[in-house]
Amino acid sequence: MDRRREALVGFVVLLGIAVAVVGTIWLQGGWRRSMVELTAASASVGQLVPGASVRFRGVAVGRVEEVRLAPGGDAVLVDLSVDPGLALPENAAVLVAPESLFGDWQAEILNRADFPQGEFLDYPQEGVLPGTALPDFSRLTATADEIARNLTVISERFEIAFTEETALNLKNAIDNIGEISNGLNEMIAQQAERFEDLSRGVNASAEELGAAARSARISFERVDSMIAGFDVGGIMANAEASAENVRALTEDMNASLEEIRSAAATADSAFGRFNALMASAEDGDGSLGRLLGDPALADNAAEAIEQMRALLADIQENPKKYLSLSIF
Amino acid sequence: MIESVLRPFSTLGVRFLALLEELGRAATLFAAAFRSLRNAGVWFPNLLPEMARIGVASVPIALFIATFTGIVMSLQASYTLTGAIPVYFVGTLVGKTMILELGPVLTALTLAGRVGANISAELGTMRVTEQVDALETLAYDPLAYLVVPRILAAVLMFPIVVLLAMTIGIASGWVTALQLLDMSSPEFVKGLRLFFDPWDVWFAVIKSVSFGAIVTGVGCYCGLRTEGGAEGVGRSATRTVVVASMLILCLDAFWAAVLL
Amino acid sequence: MGIHLREVRKSFGPRDVLRGFTLRVTDGETAAIVGPSGSGKSVLLKHVVGLLTPDSGSVTVDGAAVPELKGRALVRLRRRIGYVFQFAALFDSMTVAENVGMGLRRMPGWDRRRIRARTEDCLALVELAGMGDRYPAQLSGGQRKRAGLARAIAPSPRYLLYDEPTTGLDPVTTAVIDRLILRMRDELGVTGLVVTHDMTSAFRVADRITMLHEGKARFTGTPAEVRAAADPVLRGFVEGNPDLYFGAGRARSEDRAER
Ligand SMILES: Nc1ncnc2c1ncn2[C@@H]1O[C@H](COP(=O)(O)OP(=O)(O)OP(=O)(O)O)[C@@H](O)[C@H]1O
Ligand SMILES: [Mg+2]
Repeated sequence: MDRRREALVGFVVLLGIAVAVVGTIWLQGGWRRSMVELTAASASVGQLVPGASVRFRGVAVGRVEEVRLAPGGDAVLVDLSVDPGLALPENAAVLVAPESLFGDWQAEILNRADFPQGEFLDYPQEGVLPGTALPDFSRLTATADEIARNLTVISERFEIAFTEETALNLKNAIDNIGEISNGLNEMIAQQAERFEDLSRGVNASAEELGAAARSARISFERVDSMIAGFDVGGIMANAEASAENVRALTEDMNASLEEIRSAAATADSAFGRFNALMASAEDGDGSLGRLLGDPALADNAAEAIEQMRALLADIQENPKKYLSLSIF
Repeated sequence: MIESVLRPFSTLGVRFLALLEELGRAATLFAAAFRSLRNAGVWFPNLLPEMARIGVASVPIALFIATFTGIVMSLQASYTLTGAIPVYFVGTLVGKTMILELGPVLTALTLAGRVGANISAELGTMRVTEQVDALETLAYDPLAYLVVPRILAAVLMFPIVVLLAMTIGIASGWVTALQLLDMSSPEFVKGLRLFFDPWDVWFAVIKSVSFGAIVTGVGCYCGLRTEGGAEGVGRSATRTVVVASMLILCLDAFWAAVLL
Repeated sequence: MGIHLREVRKSFGPRDVLRGFTLRVTDGETAAIVGPSGSGKSVLLKHVVGLLTPDSGSVTVDGAAVPELKGRALVRLRRRIGYVFQFAALFDSMTVAENVGMGLRRMPGWDRRRIRARTEDCLALVELAGMGDRYPAQLSGGQRKRAGLARAIAPSPRYLLYDEPTTGLDPVTTAVIDRLILRMRDELGVTGLVVTHDMTSAFRVADRITMLHEGKARFTGTPAEVRAAADPVLRGFVEGNPDLYFGAGRARSEDRAER
C-alpha cells in the first residue's frame, strides 16, 4: 500500500519534470546538433531577435543566437548558428527580412549578387559576413495607408474650391500621384517574388492609393463642369499661399531624392501653371471665392495641402525608410 | 445624529484593525511554521503521503480542466483570428495562454477548492475535536506535523500538476485544431514555437510554487483557527476557498508585473 | 516536585473562568478536582500542559514554569505528562494502535516492534485488547475514552492528567479505570490529577479532593474530610442536592423563572 503510493508520487513527479524538459527543448526547436557559428554585420536588423530562423534557399538551416551592437555602435552584429553541412555560397551575405507581416523576422544567407539593390554593410573584420536589412514593412504600409487617406481628404476638399483650369492642372498632379502609386504597384510586383505573403497587404494599400487618386480625379472632373462662369474671389490669396507651400514642398522633394525627381518635376510644372492661373484669376476678379462664399473652405484647402506637405516632409527626412525599395 | 454619521467610519476602522490583526497572526503562524522546518523528523514522514494526497490525487481534475480549456482556447482563437492573421497563430495563442496564464491559474483555482478546502476542513475538525491539542500533549509540534508537510508538498507538487495540465491543455488544443479547424500539425507547431520562450515555463513554475504555498497556507491558517464545531469547520472551508482564490489572482497580477 | 498552580486567573473575553485558583499536587499523590459543569476544570488541566497560558498567576510542573517553556524544554516536559482528553481526541485518520503508539514514535530507542508490544500492553490495560486495528469512528464513546487513556499512559509519563476518565462508562469499566489510576500511582509512582464529577470515583482514587467553584478552590481535603465537611456548596455538590448547592433562596427564584 505505502510502497505503491511512494511509487505513484515518484512516477508523477518524474513524469511532470520529464514533460517539462522535453516539451521545452522541443518547443525551442529540437535538440541542438553541433552547430557552426557565423557572424554577420548589418546597419540595422529590423525586428530580428535571438531564436529567429536562418534560411538558405528557403530552407531553415539554423537559428539566430545573439543580436548585439558592434563595439562603437555603428553596426549590429548577428551571431548565427547553422548546420555544419551548409556550404556557404560565393559572396555569401546575410539578408535580414520579415518572414511574414507578423513580426517574425529571419536571416537569409544568400549570394550578394542575388540581391543587388541591397546596401550590404562590409564590416572590417575577418570572417564577418556583410549584411543588410529590409525596411520594416509594417511602417511602409502604414505610410501608404496614410497617403491614401490624405489624398481622399484633399480631393474631397478641393472638389468645390477651384476653377476649371486649376482643376485640370491639379488633375495632372493627381495623375502624377497615380503614377507614383503605379510605381509602388510595380515595386510590389517585384517584391512579390520574395515576399509573397506580405505583398498582399502592401498591394491593398497601393490599391487604396490608386483608388484615392481616381476618386480625386473624378471629383475634379465634376468641378470642371460646375464652376464654369463663376466669379473667383477672396480666397485667391489663400490659394496662392497654398500654392506657395506646394512649390516649397516640390522643391524639397527635388532636393531630397533623385528617384522622385522626375515625378516632382512634373508636379512642379503643374503647380507652376496652377500658380499662374491663380494670378490670372485674381486679375480678372474671378468668381471662385464668391462661389464658395465660405472662407472656411479655403482654410480647409490650405490645411489639406499642409498635411500633404508634412507627409512628404517625412518621406524627405527619412527617404531610406520609405524609398530604398526603389518605389519610384 | 453624530453617532449615525460616525458609525460607517468606526465600522471601517474596526474592520481594518481586524484585518491587520489577522495578517499579523498569519505572519506569525508562517514564521513559526518556517522555524518548524528544523523538525525534519516530524514533518518528513508526512511529506510523501501529503504529496500523494495534494499532488497526485489532484492530477485527474487538473487534467480534465486543462483538456477542456485547450479545446475552448483553440476554437476561440480560430474564431477571433480571421482575415489577415495567419491560422498558425491559433497555436501561438493556445501555447502562450496555456503556459503563461490558464495552466497555472485555472489549476490553482481548482486546487484552491479541492486542496485548500480539504485541508481547512481537516485541520478545522482536528482543532475543534482537540486533536491538535492532543498532538501538542504528545510532544508533537502541530506546525511541523500538520502545516509544514502540507505546504511543502504543495510547493513541490503544484508545479508538477501545472506542468502536466499545461501539456495536456496544449495537446487537446492541438487535437482540436487538427480535427475541428482543418489545421495541419506543422502549422500548429509553427505557431506554438513562434514566440516560445523557455522563460515562460519558469514563469509558470514560479507562479505555481507560489500558488501552492498560498492555497495550503490559507487552508492551514483557516483550519487551525477554526472555532465552534461543524459550522465553524464549514465556515473555515468556505473562507479558505474565497481568500485563496483572491490571493491567487492578486499574486498572478503581481508576478505578471514583476517577472514579465 | 509535583504540580503547583498559584493564583491562576484566566478569562475568555468577558467570561472569568479561573479567578485565582491555587492547587498543589505533590509527587506520587493523586488529586481529584470536582466541580459543576462549565466551572473551568478542563481549562485548568490545559494550563498544566501549557495548552493555555494563564492571564496571571503561575503554573509549575516539576519545578518548571510551564507558560515560559518553549521548544525543547516544553517538549521534554510534555513527554513527562500524559493527558487524557475529555472527549478522547483520538486522531481519526489513524487506527487505535497507531494512536496509542503516537507518543512513542518520536522517543529515542523505540523501534517498531517495541512500540507494537507496548501498544498491545496498554490496550489490554484499558480492556481494549484486539481492537488496535479499528479506527476511532468504529468505537463506542466509552471505548474511545479508554483508547485515549491508553494513548496517554503509553509513554509512561510521570504525571497523568485525566479529564473525566470515567464519565459515560458503565460501573464495571469505571471500576477498572479507577483501579488503573490507582495502579499508576502505586506501581509506577505517577502523580495524578483527575478531573471528574463522579464523586464515587473521586473518593476511590483520590488522596485529596479539591472543589472548583466560581473559579477558585472552594475546598481541599482528603476524602474523609470531604465527607465530613459542613460547607453547604460542597455538601450540596457531593450529595447532588441543588437546594443546598445553590442555597434555598436562589433555587426557588430559579424555579419561578422557569415557570
Ligand atoms: N477556548 C475557549 N474559548 C472561550 N471560552 C472557553 C474556551 N474554553 C472554555 N471556555 C469556557 O470556559 C468555561 C469552562 O469550560 P470548561 O471546559 O473548563 O468546563 P468544565 O468544567 O470542563 O465543564 P465540563 O464538566 O462540562 O467538561 C466554559 O464556560 C466555557 O464556555
Ligand atoms: Mg471539561
